[in-house]
Amino acid sequence: MRLLVVGGVIAYRALFNWARPSMFVGTLLIGPLFQLLFFAYLGRQLGVADDTFYIVGNAVLSATLACVFGGTIAVSNERRWGTLGHVLLSPRPRTLIFLGRAIPYAGNGLLIAVFTLTAGSLLLGLRIPASALPGLVLTLAVGSLSCACFGLTLGALGLRFRDVWLISNVSLALMMLLTGVNVPAAHLPEWMRVVGGGLPITHAAEAARRLVAGDSLAAAGPALVREVTVGVAYAVVAAVLLKIFEAESRRRASLDTL
Amino acid sequence: MALAIEARALRRTYRTRTGWLNPRRVEIDAVRGVDLDVRRGELFGLLGPNGAGKTTTIKLLNTLLIPTAGSARVCGFDVVTQTREVRRRIGYVFGGDRGLYDRLSALDNLRYFAELYGVPAAAQKRRIGELLELVGLTGRERDRVEGYSRGMRQRLHIARGLLHEPEVLFLDEPSIGVDPVAARELRSTVAGLAATGTTVLLTTHYMAEAEELCDRIAVIAGGEIQALGTADELKHYAQGRRVLEVEAFGVTDAQVQGIAALPGVRAAGVEVIGAGQVLTVASEAAVDVQSDVLRALDGVRLGRVTARQPTLEDAYVAIVNGVDRPSVAVAA
Amino acid sequence: MRLVRLVARGTLLHVKQMSRSQFEIATALFVPLVQATLAVYLFRAGSEPHRMLEAAVGAGMMAVWTSVLFGSGGAIQMQRWQGTLEMLMLSPRPPALLIFPITLATAVTGTYAMVATLLWGGLVYRIPLDIAHPLAFVVSVPAAILGLGMFGLLLASTFVLVPNANAVNNALEYPVWLVSGMLVPITVLPGWTGPIGAALPTTWAARAVRESVTGAGPVWPSLGICLAISAACLVAGAAVMSYVERRARANATLALA
Repeated sequence: MRLLVVGGVIAYRALFNWARPSMFVGTLLIGPLFQLLFFAYLGRQLGVADDTFYIVGNAVLSATLACVFGGTIAVSNERRWGTLGHVLLSPRPRTLIFLGRAIPYAGNGLLIAVFTLTAGSLLLGLRIPASALPGLVLTLAVGSLSCACFGLTLGALGLRFRDVWLISNVSLALMMLLTGVNVPAAHLPEWMRVVGGGLPITHAAEAARRLVAGDSLAAAGPALVREVTVGVAYAVVAAVLLKIFEAESRRRASLDTL
Repeated sequence: MALAIEARALRRTYRTRTGWLNPRRVEIDAVRGVDLDVRRGELFGLLGPNGAGKTTTIKLLNTLLIPTAGSARVCGFDVVTQTREVRRRIGYVFGGDRGLYDRLSALDNLRYFAELYGVPAAAQKRRIGELLELVGLTGRERDRVEGYSRGMRQRLHIARGLLHEPEVLFLDEPSIGVDPVAARELRSTVAGLAATGTTVLLTTHYMAEAEELCDRIAVIAGGEIQALGTADELKHYAQGRRVLEVEAFGVTDAQVQGIAALPGVRAAGVEVIGAGQVLTVASEAAVDVQSDVLRALDGVRLGRVTARQPTLEDAYVAIVNGVDRPSVAVAA
Repeated sequence: MRLVRLVARGTLLHVKQMSRSQFEIATALFVPLVQATLAVYLFRAGSEPHRMLEAAVGAGMMAVWTSVLFGSGGAIQMQRWQGTLEMLMLSPRPPALLIFPITLATAVTGTYAMVATLLWGGLVYRIPLDIAHPLAFVVSVPAAILGLGMFGLLLASTFVLVPNANAVNNALEYPVWLVSGMLVPITVLPGWTGPIGAALPTTWAARAVRESVTGAGPVWPSLGICLAISAACLVAGAAVMSYVERRARANATLALA
């Protein structure tokens, strides 16, 4: 367990090199907040849904940039900096090492989501019942974590395919559409809803909305469980992909060059 | 006589900040007081070790940098205030493979720069064709630059530098990383340019290149010009010397220092070549240091030992070492 | 005339150079398509299901802004990385004339996304391309592109002066979409944002293009204001650019090392 957290924190500091203070504020805090405002006002203008819908949804979504890119960086930058070989040669269980990588990014995502929710609520005048707060934080944490696991999966793909950043970029844009955060799921075609159901954030956003509406944690529970399931599924996929690609690259001696 | 380049007490200081949490200001004097006169039509060489200030000097002269102090004129125009006039008249080629639009063809690159330099539209096609011919890229001009070898890129750089028929051409280590055959072609191209009256300021690491091409050579080290003259004149710096070369395996720094301190020895240095080393010892012509040197190398496995007359390279080493170690004074 | 020729050739060169980066082109095409889809569903879900074409065109304009923002904001840094900045600066031309073609090129490549969103809308969502004033549309889109390219020069020159311009870049994408009413004019915004929107050429560019599509208003006044503000940006950008060049020569920041 210590390996998981400590290893993760060190890798986080080493690999998250774009997280200089100004970069963090501009890209990860201000950016998502403006995104929230954009969709909230657009929603008001078009009469799609009320502010609460957009504030809560986009707050949950705000963690995606940090988490998905973070997860991708956690794996793919190891290769870029030629440290992948060392990590894979370490006697510790590799799956654990890489899952540990995801945790700090998830923590970062949680921080961003809490900030976005707070700032968005203050700016647009949304009152959240105090009793909902613990549940909300839990929901945001679960959402961030499953997002980071999704990022790990993309990062693992990055070991095999060169244009992983293209995949990450498009994934982020798709999440904006498919998670039902900005377009109410009822208005999306069936297949989009199905795909959205398999993405992180979708269920966390649903749970968060219920909590803000005053429902109990028990009422939000099923959605939360679904989000956890999605996250665990991506973690497993990431682990399997890493194992496959590792075996493959050993066989072809292409660990750092493929 | 008309001067193509004149520099007076040219000085350039870089200010950088190091440290992130606790930033400190560091000032580096890259060029400290360079005086230079290059005549029109001259092929002038600037020799010096890495970090000696060669590139900085060139960038001060070609308007890319503003001097901290001093002044310079190119073709009679001030490099700080009359940049437009200066830029019209100069070409700049630097070594390495950057500085081109990689995803475009040579032709695209040349056409754009021809336009930038105001080559009349009617003359562009002919001029580009001539230059492609000159640098031997005819037939490859429609290929993307990213597929070019280093030598080809270098030649494209030269073609670009010549588009507007500059009066003064700055060549900053053009032969770096270029294979020997290409380097030879490059030298003949440069010699040809000088023959047609273009003033060339060339920096290089290669003594042979400088000796073959340059009318006059300046050796720059520590940001100052240490010596200036024709190649033959520069060899005087090593005159009255004898050079002893010893192939060795495993000479220590302490031994080299010991040899340098021997009576009659002017300078000693070691170069690693392949698996072994070559120890070069310059001494007064009147003193035979060979037996002392071999004694100092007692216990070291030795190869061939040769004594020879000094070359331009020895002169260069003598000049540059004189800067690094003031105790070994340069005798001119 | 030679000036026009120089800018045209420069723009062509930079458009070619940018268009041959597969990664950039793919990102610049896929992401706007997703955004256009999002816009289509938002319009359908909302009270304006009949304004589909506006959604597609608006998403295209959003993509143009993104392209100008990131491309122009990073234009100088990009040339520095390629090692071409010194070569450009060495030519006997005012620096603005060297960088403007680059920012104009970023606006031009942004139109790939506009074409893509219109095609996507037509093929997937059967959005008919019935533009109210086809002629005005054909004129206003390139004019808006030109305007945004001019605005880009101001971005390019000021962003080199801002430490961590990337952070500013990343933060400026949505606010401009929002305040300029790129997708749809937002009347529910707080009043103080009005003057900001009115001062941005993006607002008038989006408005002119929209008016040509819907026929809701005369196109030419909006387009005129867009170009007037853009021209002012071009002049300001040129002045900043000259200052930047001199500063770079003094501080030795033209080269990478």
